[in-house]
Amino acid sequence: MLGNSKELIFAFLACIFSAATYGAMLIFTRQIPAASEFYGHTIGILGFLLMLATETLYSLRKHSRSARWGRMANWLQFHIFTGIVGPFMVLLHTSWKFSGLAGVTALLTGVIVLSGFIGRYIYTRIPRTADGIEDPGVVGEMQAAALANARRLMSLWHTVHIPIGMALFTAAFVHILGALYYATLLK
Amino acid sequence: MFNPGPLNAKAGTPLGEVTSHAEIGKDCGQCHPAFWSAQSMSDLCLDCHVKIQGEIGDTTSLHGLLIQGNSLTCQSCHTEHHGVDAALTVMDSASFPHEKTGFDLSGHQTRSDGIPFACSDCHTQGFSTFDQQSCVDCHRPLDQVYIDAHVLDFGEVCLTCHDGVDRYADFDHSLVTFALTGAHLQVGCSECHLNARTIPDLQNTLVDCEACHLLDDAHAGKFGEQCGVCHSSDGWKPAIFDHNRADFRLEGKHIEVPCENCHTDGFISTPKDCYSCHKQDDKHNGVYGTACESCHNPSAWVDATFDHSLSTFPLDGAHVNVECAECHIGGVFKGTPLECAACHAEPDFHLGMFTGQACSTCHTTAVWSPALYDGPHTFPINHGEEINTCADCHQPNLTQWICYPCHERAEVDRKHIEEGISNFSDCLRCHPTGLKEESGEGGDD
Repeated sequence: MLGNSKELIFAFLACIFSAATYGAMLIFTRQIPAASEFYGHTIGILGFLLMLATETLYSLRKHSRSARWGRMANWLQFHIFTGIVGPFMVLLHTSWKFSGLAGVTALLTGVIVLSGFIGRYIYTRIPRTADGIEDPGVVGEMQAAALANARRLMSLWHTVHIPIGMALFTAAFVHILGALYYATLLK
Repeated sequence: MFNPGPLNAKAGTPLGEVTSHAEIGKDCGQCHPAFWSAQSMSDLCLDCHVKIQGEIGDTTSLHGLLIQGNSLTCQSCHTEHHGVDAALTVMDSASFPHEKTGFDLSGHQTRSDGIPFACSDCHTQGFSTFDQQSCVDCHRPLDQVYIDAHVLDFGEVCLTCHDGVDRYADFDHSLVTFALTGAHLQVGCSECHLNARTIPDLQNTLVDCEACHLLDDAHAGKFGEQCGVCHSSDGWKPAIFDHNRADFRLEGKHIEVPCENCHTDGFISTPKDCYSCHKQDDKHNGVYGTACESCHNPSAWVDATFDHSLSTFPLDGAHVNVECAECHIGGVFKGTPLECAACHAEPDFHLGMFTGQACSTCHTTAVWSPALYDGPHTFPINHGEEINTCADCHQPNLTQWICYPCHERAEVDRKHIEEGISNFSDCLRCHPTGLKEESGEGGDD
């Protein structure tokens, strides 16, 4: 499986790298980097930007009629990569505290990543061409039922994954505004 | 919803009608002003914490010291949202501006056992107090002998002199107005800085010699209190005094005389006249008075110079270079006879012819001979060029005379015999005026 999933390997490596910087901070400051200090802020912002990219750019590409750069399969890889590394960085940003709206945002992040993995699993049940287009040509009758089933699951999955994403970003925006109000811009 | 962590709930002094922050936790605006409002978070803190508000401006208080027109805010040291029992002050000794309290921690970063200092190592009873006994409690075990002596010398209130900056080890005394030189370098601090308890005490230590050395005065006060005139910090001996500063220059033999030989009773009123010291050296037995300096000078007694023209017998001619003792026999000067004969006995040469006449009739002080005779003389005095003095013709004395050897005997003999004169023993019989031509009168006798 991993042989075809370059994005997972790259995501894994990026997460290792992020974890390494986190580990260095732990060693040098001997404390968990606080969410509101320089390192915590930076990694939170970077993680958020990656997540923003993963949602907006992928959706744009998928649904736009005029913006047609790159193949969908590649875009999915990009979506998965940023959708893993971004949330991982956000997780490091939390300083392992999950109270209030920030905690809800973190929870939603976790849920959507999990949902993403599930979607990925369902996705692979549908045979596709190298371009990622469904290819019913190689499928026999028995598999047709399984295929139809898989398609239904995929649709269902979309009704979960996307609303969660919207809720997540709403929460994230409110969290950012609150942080700005109560902390960053505080005199 | 936006609360990042529980507020401290420890009950404390009631302020603003609550005893902990947790009690106002529902109202974020009690502490968090909108960023567009004029108030800062510190202003909201001080609205309730009025005691701290009162400290600002009072530099004797902790907060007044720390917050002095700099950018420190409450949040610089205080924190919240870390839990119901979490500390509200987060500070380590590295970030706390301790020098604002008047004590710099640069020398107190690590204890003698290598462990970094914690605040409580010195502030044993909380931060707002400091008991100076803490200094001694740490430092005494490190060097008991020194600390015990030091406390005795300078007292127990360490902070009156010590501000945390190590400025007393290898103290460069040349930085202050009294440079330590010579023997002063070996003296311990407290020997001069007696009972100093504060830095002004140290700075106001008296710097004149007698402040410390009055008891060392070997002169029992006889020479006043200006020790530095003769003594230096190199040591009491040798005492060096530039005598030119006094009203009596030391010259000649006076230079080597020990101070006490002249200064038998103090320095200042020592008499300056010769006689006061040299009375017993007076070889003239007082005959010439007490103004020794009119003849004598400090180089040596025998170097006496006397302006003889001041006396009744001015020296001139050959008299000038005569030793005093040749005329002044036995040290007698006044009353030395003035007549020539007193020193100069009449020579046998005169054969008593001029007795009663003054020597100066013929003689001057320039030289005895030639004498200038101006008296009766039948034979011309200016006879011949070789004749200068009486003795050239009058030999062996003035009543006799000779014509030889000026006139060579052999020649005279020959000439007379040629002329047929045989008796020419009395030259003046034929030559009464010394002329050759007179010889006609002589003829043959």
